[in-house]
Amino acid sequence: MAKVHEITVWARGVLQDKEGRDVINIFAKAAQAEGKHAQAFDNYEDLPDRVLVTVRKYVRLSDEEITHKYVYTNDKPEVVVICEATIVKGIDVLRGMEPGGTLIINTNRSIDDMLKLLPNANLLATIATVDADAITGVRTVDFSGSEGGVDTTGIGKGIAAPIVGAVAKVTGLIKKESLAKIVSDVSGMERGYNEVKIKHFKPAVAELVGAAAGSKTKR
Amino acid sequence: MSKEDNMAKALPGYGTIDVPKDRVVPFGAVTPAPVGTQKLFQTSNWRVVRPVKDEEKCTRCLQCYLACPDACWVYKEEDDTLEWVGDFCKGCQVCIAQCTVDGALVAAPELDFEGGVVRLEKPF
Ligand code: SF4
Ligand code: SF4
Repeated sequence: MAKVHEITVWARGVLQDKEGRDVINIFAKAAQAEGKHAQAFDNYEDLPDRVLVTVRKYVRLSDEEITHKYVYTNDKPEVVVICEATIVKGIDVLRGMEPGGTLIINTNRSIDDMLKLLPNANLLATIATVDADAITGVRTVDFSGSEGGVDTTGIGKGIAAPIVGAVAKVTGLIKKESLAKIVSDVSGMERGYNEVKIKHFKPAVAELVGAAAGSKTKR
Repeated sequence: MSKEDNMAKALPGYGTIDVPKDRVVPFGAVTPAPVGTQKLFQTSNWRVVRPVKDEEKCTRCLQCYLACPDACWVYKEEDDTLEWVGDFCKGCQVCIAQCTVDGALVAAPELDFEGGVVRLEKPF
Protein backbone atom coordinates (compact mmCIF):
# COMPACT_ATOMS: atom_id res chain seq x y z
CA MET A 1 0.00 0.00 0.00
CA ALA A 2 1.25 3.46 -0.86
CA LYS A 3 1.93 5.88 1.95
CA VAL A 4 -1.19 7.22 3.64
CA HIS A 5 -0.88 10.83 4.76
CA GLU A 6 -2.84 11.33 7.97
CA ILE A 7 -4.02 14.84 8.80
CA THR A 8 -5.79 15.50 12.13
CA VAL A 9 -7.70 18.74 12.64
CA TRP A 10 -8.51 20.01 16.15
CA ALA A 11 -11.33 22.49 16.65
CA ARG A 12 -13.67 23.72 19.40
CA GLY A 13 -17.10 22.14 19.79
CA VAL A 14 -20.08 24.00 18.26
CA LEU A 15 -18.22 27.27 17.62
CA GLN A 16 -15.80 25.72 15.15
CA ASP A 17 -17.37 22.36 14.45
CA LYS A 18 -18.45 23.29 10.91
CA GLU A 19 -15.18 25.06 10.09
CA GLY A 20 -13.13 22.09 11.26
CA ARG A 21 -15.29 19.73 9.24
CA ASP A 22 -14.93 22.00 6.21
CA VAL A 23 -11.14 21.71 6.43
CA ILE A 24 -11.24 17.91 6.11
CA ASN A 25 -13.98 17.87 3.48
CA ILE A 26 -12.25 20.46 1.30
CA PHE A 27 -9.01 18.53 1.52
CA ALA A 28 -10.65 15.20 0.72
CA LYS A 29 -12.62 16.61 -2.22
CA ALA A 30 -9.57 18.41 -3.63
CA ALA A 31 -7.49 15.24 -3.33
CA GLN A 32 -10.14 13.23 -5.14
CA ALA A 33 -10.27 15.87 -7.88
CA GLU A 34 -6.51 15.36 -8.28
CA GLY A 35 -7.07 11.64 -8.71
CA LYS A 36 -5.93 10.69 -5.20
CA HIS A 37 -7.77 8.53 -2.74
CA ALA A 38 -9.14 10.22 0.34
CA GLN A 39 -11.11 9.51 3.49
CA ALA A 40 -12.59 12.10 5.85
CA PHE A 41 -14.30 11.55 9.19
CA ASP A 42 -15.35 13.83 11.99
CA ASN A 43 -16.48 13.76 15.57
CA TYR A 44 -16.02 10.10 16.38
CA GLU A 45 -15.44 9.71 20.15
CA ASP A 46 -15.70 13.49 20.70
CA LEU A 47 -18.49 15.81 21.86
CA PRO A 48 -19.13 18.32 19.06
CA ASP A 49 -22.36 19.58 20.59
CA ARG A 50 -20.70 20.95 23.71
CA VAL A 51 -19.46 24.50 23.36
CA LEU A 52 -15.66 24.84 23.33
CA VAL A 53 -14.93 21.17 24.00
CA THR A 54 -12.05 19.97 21.81
CA VAL A 55 -13.11 17.92 18.80
CA ARG A 56 -11.09 16.12 16.15
CA LYS A 57 -11.62 15.75 12.45
CA TYR A 58 -9.57 13.38 10.33
CA VAL A 59 -8.55 13.22 6.69
CA ARG A 60 -6.31 10.72 4.93
CA LEU A 61 -4.82 11.00 1.48
CA SER A 62 -3.04 8.40 -0.59
CA ASP A 63 -2.07 7.67 -4.18
CA GLU A 64 -3.60 4.23 -3.88
CA GLU A 65 -6.76 2.89 -2.35
CA ILE A 66 -6.77 3.25 1.43
CA THR A 67 -7.44 -0.13 2.94
CA HIS A 68 -7.77 0.59 6.66
CA LYS A 69 -11.48 1.26 6.51
CA TYR A 70 -13.61 1.65 9.61
CA VAL A 71 -10.74 3.02 11.66
CA TYR A 72 -11.77 6.57 12.33
CA THR A 73 -8.96 8.00 14.41
CA ASN A 74 -5.56 8.90 12.99
CA ASP A 75 -3.14 7.12 15.27
CA LYS A 76 -0.01 8.56 13.68
CA PRO A 77 -0.87 12.00 12.32
CA GLU A 78 1.77 13.39 9.99
CA VAL A 79 0.10 16.80 9.92
CA VAL A 80 -1.83 18.35 12.82
CA VAL A 81 -3.99 21.44 12.23
CA ILE A 82 -5.20 23.53 15.19
CA CYS A 83 -8.22 25.76 14.50
CA GLU A 84 -8.02 27.52 17.89
CA ALA A 85 -4.60 28.06 19.43
CA THR A 86 -5.50 27.54 23.13
CA ILE A 87 -6.06 23.87 22.32
CA VAL A 88 -2.27 23.32 22.39
CA LYS A 89 -2.33 24.09 26.13
CA GLY A 90 -5.06 21.62 26.95
CA ILE A 91 -4.27 18.61 24.79
CA ASP A 92 -1.18 16.69 23.76
CA VAL A 93 -1.87 17.56 20.13
CA LEU A 94 1.26 15.81 18.82
CA ARG A 95 0.35 12.48 20.42
CA GLY A 96 1.19 9.62 18.07
CA MET A 97 3.16 11.82 15.68
CA GLU A 98 6.39 10.33 14.42
CA PRO A 99 9.48 12.59 14.35
CA GLY A 100 9.43 14.91 11.35
CA GLY A 101 5.79 15.97 11.53
CA THR A 102 4.06 19.25 10.76
CA LEU A 103 1.92 21.49 12.99
CA ILE A 104 -0.20 24.33 11.63
CA ILE A 105 -1.99 26.69 14.04
CA ASN A 106 -4.65 29.34 13.47
CA THR A 107 -3.32 32.18 15.63
CA ASN A 108 -2.07 35.75 15.52
CA ARG A 109 0.66 34.87 18.02
CA SER A 110 4.25 34.17 17.06
CA ILE A 111 5.63 30.74 16.24
CA ASP A 112 8.05 31.07 19.18
CA ASP A 113 5.17 31.76 21.58
CA MET A 114 3.45 28.61 20.35
CA LEU A 115 6.62 26.51 20.68
CA LYS A 116 6.82 27.47 24.37
CA LEU A 117 3.47 25.74 24.93
CA LEU A 118 4.50 22.48 23.23
CA PRO A 119 6.35 20.05 25.51
CA ASN A 120 7.15 17.67 22.63
CA ALA A 121 7.99 20.19 19.89
CA ASN A 122 11.11 18.15 19.09
CA LEU A 123 8.85 15.86 17.03
CA LEU A 124 8.28 18.64 14.54
CA ALA A 125 10.13 19.27 11.30
CA THR A 126 7.82 22.18 10.46
CA ILE A 127 5.58 24.54 12.40
CA ALA A 128 3.41 27.22 10.80
CA THR A 129 0.90 29.84 11.88
CA VAL A 130 -1.87 31.53 9.94
CA ASP A 131 -4.19 34.22 11.29
CA ALA A 132 -7.35 32.83 9.73
CA ASP A 133 -9.68 34.81 11.99
CA ALA A 134 -8.09 38.09 10.88
CA ILE A 135 -8.25 37.06 7.22
CA THR A 136 -11.96 36.22 7.07
CA GLY A 137 -13.54 37.18 10.40
CA VAL A 138 -16.21 34.55 9.67
CA ARG A 139 -16.97 31.41 11.61
CA THR A 140 -19.86 29.40 10.26
CA VAL A 141 -21.69 27.87 13.23
CA ASP A 142 -23.78 25.06 11.82
CA PHE A 143 -24.15 21.30 12.10
CA SER A 144 -24.80 20.99 8.38
CA GLY A 145 -22.86 18.13 6.89
CA SER A 146 -22.15 16.42 10.19
CA GLU A 147 -22.59 12.68 10.80
CA GLY A 148 -22.79 12.03 7.08
CA GLY A 149 -25.66 14.49 6.57
CA VAL A 150 -26.01 16.67 3.50
CA ASP A 151 -24.16 19.97 3.71
CA THR A 152 -26.63 22.68 2.76
CA THR A 153 -24.54 25.68 3.73
CA GLY A 154 -21.61 25.26 1.37
CA ILE A 155 -18.03 24.61 2.38
CA GLY A 156 -15.11 26.93 3.01
CA LYS A 157 -16.99 30.13 3.77
CA GLY A 158 -15.17 31.05 6.96
CA ILE A 159 -11.83 30.37 8.64
CA ALA A 160 -11.61 26.96 6.95
CA ALA A 161 -10.67 28.73 3.68
CA PRO A 162 -7.43 30.40 4.88
CA ILE A 163 -6.61 27.33 6.95
CA VAL A 164 -6.76 24.95 3.96
CA GLY A 165 -4.74 27.46 1.91
CA ALA A 166 -2.08 27.45 4.62
CA VAL A 167 -2.07 23.66 4.93
CA ALA A 168 -1.71 23.28 1.14
CA LYS A 169 1.27 25.63 1.09
CA VAL A 170 3.03 24.11 4.10
CA THR A 171 2.53 20.44 3.24
CA GLY A 172 2.44 20.53 -0.54
CA LEU A 173 -0.09 17.67 -0.39
CA ILE A 174 -2.72 19.53 -2.45
CA LYS A 175 -2.54 22.11 -5.23
CA LYS A 176 -3.95 25.56 -4.56
CA GLU A 177 -5.84 25.39 -7.87
CA SER A 178 -7.73 22.28 -6.74
CA LEU A 179 -8.78 24.02 -3.53
CA ALA A 180 -9.98 27.06 -5.47
CA LYS A 181 -12.56 24.89 -7.27
CA ILE A 182 -14.06 23.79 -3.96
CA VAL A 183 -13.90 26.58 -1.35
CA SER A 184 -16.56 29.29 -1.31
CA ASP A 185 -14.14 32.00 -0.21
CA VAL A 186 -11.35 31.69 -2.79
CA SER A 187 -9.63 34.96 -1.87
CA GLY A 188 -9.55 33.95 1.82
CA MET A 189 -7.98 30.64 0.81
CA GLU A 190 -5.36 32.44 -1.29
CA ARG A 191 -4.54 34.84 1.53
CA GLY A 192 -4.03 31.89 3.87
CA TYR A 193 -1.74 30.33 1.25
CA ASN A 194 0.27 33.52 0.87
CA GLU A 195 0.30 34.77 4.45
CA VAL A 196 1.13 31.60 6.37
CA LYS A 197 4.34 31.91 8.43
CA ILE A 198 6.52 28.82 8.31
CA LYS A 199 9.51 27.64 10.36
CA HIS A 200 11.50 24.52 9.48
CA PHE A 201 13.77 22.71 11.90
CA LYS A 202 16.96 20.92 11.03
CA PRO A 203 16.57 17.20 11.70
CA ALA A 204 17.75 16.27 15.18
CA VAL A 205 21.02 14.33 15.50
CA ALA A 206 19.16 11.22 16.65
CA GLU A 207 17.07 11.26 13.47
CA LEU A 208 20.11 11.60 11.21
CA VAL A 209 21.73 8.62 12.93
CA GLY A 210 18.47 6.69 12.56
CA ALA A 211 18.21 7.56 8.86
CA ALA A 212 21.82 6.51 8.26
CA ALA A 213 21.22 3.21 10.04
CA GLY A 214 18.06 2.71 8.00
CA SER A 215 19.85 3.21 4.69
CA LYS A 216 22.59 0.77 5.76
CA THR A 217 20.15 -2.02 6.49
CA LYS A 218 18.43 -1.44 3.16
CA ARG A 219 21.70 -1.55 1.18
CA MET B 1 -42.12 5.15 57.39
CA SER B 2 -39.82 7.79 55.90
CA LYS B 3 -41.03 10.68 53.77
CA GLU B 4 -39.39 9.13 50.68
CA ASP B 5 -41.29 5.89 51.11
CA ASN B 6 -44.58 7.77 51.36
CA MET B 7 -43.76 9.64 48.15
CA ALA B 8 -42.99 6.36 46.42
CA LYS B 9 -46.30 4.92 47.56
CA ALA B 10 -48.15 7.75 45.83
CA LEU B 11 -46.72 6.74 42.45
CA PRO B 12 -48.80 4.66 40.02
CA GLY B 13 -47.57 1.11 39.85
CA TYR B 14 -46.09 1.13 43.37
CA GLY B 15 -45.87 -2.35 44.75
CA THR B 16 -46.48 -4.09 41.41
CA ILE B 17 -42.82 -5.09 41.16
CA ASP B 18 -41.36 -7.15 43.92
CA VAL B 19 -38.02 -5.46 44.66
CA PRO B 20 -35.83 -7.18 47.24
CA LYS B 21 -35.26 -4.98 50.29
CA ASP B 22 -31.51 -4.69 49.70
CA ARG B 23 -32.06 -3.44 46.14
CA VAL B 24 -34.38 -0.59 47.02
CA VAL B 25 -32.94 2.82 46.24
CA PRO B 26 -34.33 5.92 47.97
CA PHE B 27 -35.57 8.84 45.91
CA GLY B 28 -32.86 11.36 45.03
CA ALA B 29 -29.16 10.86 45.41
CA VAL B 30 -26.14 12.73 46.62
CA THR B 31 -23.28 13.24 44.20
CA PRO B 32 -20.01 14.91 45.15
CA ALA B 33 -19.53 18.49 43.90
CA PRO B 34 -17.21 18.67 40.88
CA VAL B 35 -14.48 20.68 42.58
CA GLY B 36 -11.63 18.63 43.91
CA THR B 37 -13.55 15.40 44.02
CA GLN B 38 -14.25 14.34 40.45
CA LYS B 39 -10.76 14.05 39.07
CA LEU B 40 -12.07 13.01 35.65
CA PHE B 41 -14.14 16.16 35.29
CA GLN B 42 -11.28 18.57 34.76
CA THR B 43 -12.65 20.95 32.17
CA SER B 44 -9.88 23.55 32.10
CA ASN B 45 -9.02 22.70 28.51
CA TRP B 46 -12.39 24.01 27.34
CA ARG B 47 -11.11 27.45 28.25
CA VAL B 48 -10.18 30.12 25.70
CA VAL B 49 -10.33 32.90 28.28
CA ARG B 50 -10.06 32.80 32.07
CA PRO B 51 -11.70 35.09 34.65
CA VAL B 52 -9.20 37.38 36.37
CA LYS B 53 -10.16 39.23 39.53
CA ASP B 54 -9.06 42.72 40.56
CA GLU B 55 -8.64 42.41 44.33
CA GLU B 56 -8.87 46.20 44.81
CA LYS B 57 -12.22 46.51 43.05
CA CYS B 58 -13.84 43.31 44.33
CA THR B 59 -16.34 43.95 47.13
CA ARG B 60 -16.72 40.26 48.12
CA CYS B 61 -20.38 40.35 47.14
CA LEU B 62 -19.96 36.64 46.29
CA GLN B 63 -22.14 36.73 43.17
CA CYS B 64 -19.36 34.95 41.25
CA TYR B 65 -19.25 32.26 43.94
CA LEU B 66 -22.99 31.72 43.63
CA ALA B 67 -23.11 31.86 39.84
CA CYS B 68 -20.30 29.50 38.85
CA PRO B 69 -21.85 26.25 37.60
CA ASP B 70 -18.72 24.34 38.58
CA ALA B 71 -18.14 25.91 41.99
CA CYS B 72 -14.77 27.27 40.93
CA TRP B 73 -14.84 30.26 43.28
CA VAL B 74 -14.13 29.12 46.82
CA TYR B 75 -14.73 31.67 49.56
CA LYS B 76 -12.21 31.56 52.40
CA GLU B 77 -13.99 33.15 55.32
CA GLU B 78 -10.91 33.34 57.58
CA ASP B 79 -9.07 35.79 55.34
CA ASP B 80 -12.05 37.10 53.32
CA THR B 81 -10.63 35.97 49.97
CA LEU B 82 -11.97 34.15 46.95
CA GLU B 83 -9.83 31.41 45.48
CA TRP B 84 -10.20 30.39 41.83
CA VAL B 85 -10.01 26.67 41.10
CA GLY B 86 -8.49 26.77 37.64
CA ASP B 87 -8.35 23.03 36.90
CA PHE B 88 -12.14 22.92 36.75
CA CYS B 89 -12.98 26.36 35.31
CA LYS B 90 -14.24 25.94 31.75
CA GLY B 91 -14.13 29.65 30.90
CA CYS B 92 -17.90 30.03 30.48
CA GLN B 93 -17.73 33.61 31.85
CA VAL B 94 -20.99 33.35 33.76
CA CYS B 95 -19.17 34.71 36.84
CA ILE B 96 -18.02 37.72 34.83
CA ALA B 97 -21.54 38.40 33.58
CA GLN B 98 -22.88 38.24 37.16
CA CYS B 99 -20.17 40.34 38.80
CA THR B 100 -21.67 43.44 40.37
CA VAL B 101 -18.64 45.73 40.11
CA ASP B 102 -17.44 47.11 36.81
CA GLY B 103 -13.99 45.71 36.06
CA ALA B 104 -13.68 43.56 39.19
CA LEU B 105 -13.81 40.37 37.15
CA VAL B 106 -12.59 40.38 33.52
CA ALA B 107 -11.82 37.80 30.84
CA ALA B 108 -8.15 37.40 29.89
CA PRO B 109 -6.92 35.25 26.97
CA GLU B 110 -5.75 31.89 28.28
CA LEU B 111 -2.70 32.08 25.98
CA ASP B 112 -1.39 34.99 28.08
CA PHE B 113 -0.65 32.52 30.87
CA GLU B 114 2.00 29.84 30.70
CA GLY B 115 0.31 27.12 32.74
CA GLY B 116 -2.98 26.65 34.53
CA VAL B 117 -4.62 24.19 32.14
CA VAL B 118 -4.67 20.46 32.80
CA ARG B 119 -3.34 18.91 29.60
CA LEU B 120 -5.42 15.87 28.73
CA GLU B 121 -4.34 12.91 26.61
CA LYS B 122 -7.60 12.82 24.70
CA PRO B 123 -10.54 15.18 24.18
CA PHE B 124 -12.78 15.52 27.18
S1 SF4 C 1 -15.68 31.19 33.88
FE1 SF4 C 1 -17.45 29.83 34.33
S2 SF4 C 1 -16.48 27.95 35.14
FE2 SF4 C 1 -14.93 29.58 35.24
S3 SF4 C 1 -15.09 30.44 37.29
FE3 SF4 C 1 -16.40 31.70 35.95
S4 SF4 C 1 -18.43 30.80 36.07
FE4 SF4 C 1 -16.98 29.29 36.90
S1 SF4 D 1 -18.95 39.03 41.77
FE1 SF4 D 1 -17.31 40.49 41.39
S2 SF4 D 1 -17.34 41.90 43.13
FE2 SF4 D 1 -18.58 40.15 43.69
S3 SF4 D 1 -17.15 38.81 44.80
FE3 SF4 D 1 -17.11 38.15 42.65
S4 SF4 D 1 -15.42 39.31 41.74
FE4 SF4 D 1 -15.93 40.30 43.69
